[in-house]
Amino acid sequence: MNTPEDSLDCGHSLAELSTYLDTGEIADPAHLHSCPECQAGLASLRRLSQLGSELLTSDLADAGSGHDDWMQSILDNLRLELRPGRSIPLQAGNPKDTLWETEGSISALIRSVADALPGTAAGKCRLHGDVTTPGAGITVDVEIAVVYGHPLDERAEELRRELAQTLAFQTELNIETINITVRDVLEPPSAADQVPSPPTSPAPTTREDQP
Amino acid sequence: MGKAENVTGSPAAQHQLDLVPDALLAGRAADGDTAAFEALARRHGPLMRATARRLTGSQADADDVVQETLVQAWKQLDNLRDPAAVKGWLLRIVGSRSIDHLRRRRNHAGLDAVENQVEHDAKPQAADPEHSAVITSRVEALKAALAKLPEEQRRCWVLKEFNDQSYEEIALTLNISQASVRGRLARARITLARMMEEWR
Repeated sequence: MNTPEDSLDCGHSLAELSTYLDTGEIADPAHLHSCPECQAGLASLRRLSQLGSELLTSDLADAGSGHDDWMQSILDNLRLELRPGRSIPLQAGNPKDTLWETEGSISALIRSVADALPGTAAGKCRLHGDVTTPGAGITVDVEIAVVYGHPLDERAEELRRELAQTLAFQTELNIETINITVRDVLEPPSAADQVPSPPTSPAPTTREDQP
Repeated sequence: MGKAENVTGSPAAQHQLDLVPDALLAGRAADGDTAAFEALARRHGPLMRATARRLTGSQADADDVVQETLVQAWKQLDNLRDPAAVKGWLLRIVGSRSIDHLRRRRNHAGLDAVENQVEHDAKPQAADPEHSAVITSRVEALKAALAKLPEEQRRCWVLKEFNDQSYEEIALTLNISQASVRGRLARARITLARMMEEWR
């Protein structure tokens, strides 16, 4: 692999130094630290790496924000298929009708309940048990993140209560257990952002959709 | 900050998702939450686009690659074992799709012989600083130097420096051995370092 131009006078090569930069491994570390040739080579590679970071910064600026039109048009083209999950049977008023709802719609309901609590956001949620059999016992697992400063126990307890209520009211599932795992504690939003701790008028930003 | 009413119909919800870490968003997206998936796409889209831009050499191709990547990611999210690693996972898909894109276009055009020209000289545009005769900064000089590298070397360099991929990950993406990755990366750096020293 060594070419004449890549060999240093000390007998080592820039290729070895390149690998050392990535892995920290080199055959003769003692030599590396004392050899001016190797140190100069390393410095040159590090300058390049630094310049690479500057190029990346410049390219990222050129790429624009993920909230710009280019991303919107990509997202508009995606047409993501829905993930309905399992079909959950519902009682029909007329025995000739067959009604069901999807597992995905239950997940969305659970997320909306969790997201609506102050300082709380839902992650993954799962329904364990045979949801396709009416009356079968179901366990709900929900992961959440809570914004720093909010009491974790209270939030989890509140969510458990609200979920039990909402699921009992809006579904026919026989919920036996609701497990809530706090996965993350989130940085509080910066002062300029919404969700401030002092009370303000409800949903200050949701009014902006009418120009 | 840009308003995102049209995404979820609820700017507050979208705004809140922007604060949520990757792992949680990836979990929600795997459950079928399109808003969480879009939040991930917006968060990592710029790096995906910048990487694809350097790998394919064309902005239009880069946007195609980002779109294909997101389609594939949505389908395969269930297979993602560690949701916290979603960023690296997306970038590895970007790498593979970029290489596929080049391969497909090359097969289509039958231009194997002029691989570097295909990428960097096919569509000279004033908008591309690489084609500008006046190089005003070290970053611009690096762009020009990168454009002159053999394609395989440039790929290794971009995957390493832009995406911090390991030799193993680069080897998988490019379907070459780890020893080849090490060698190509070293040659890329040596050439680039020399060109940049000369530029100074």
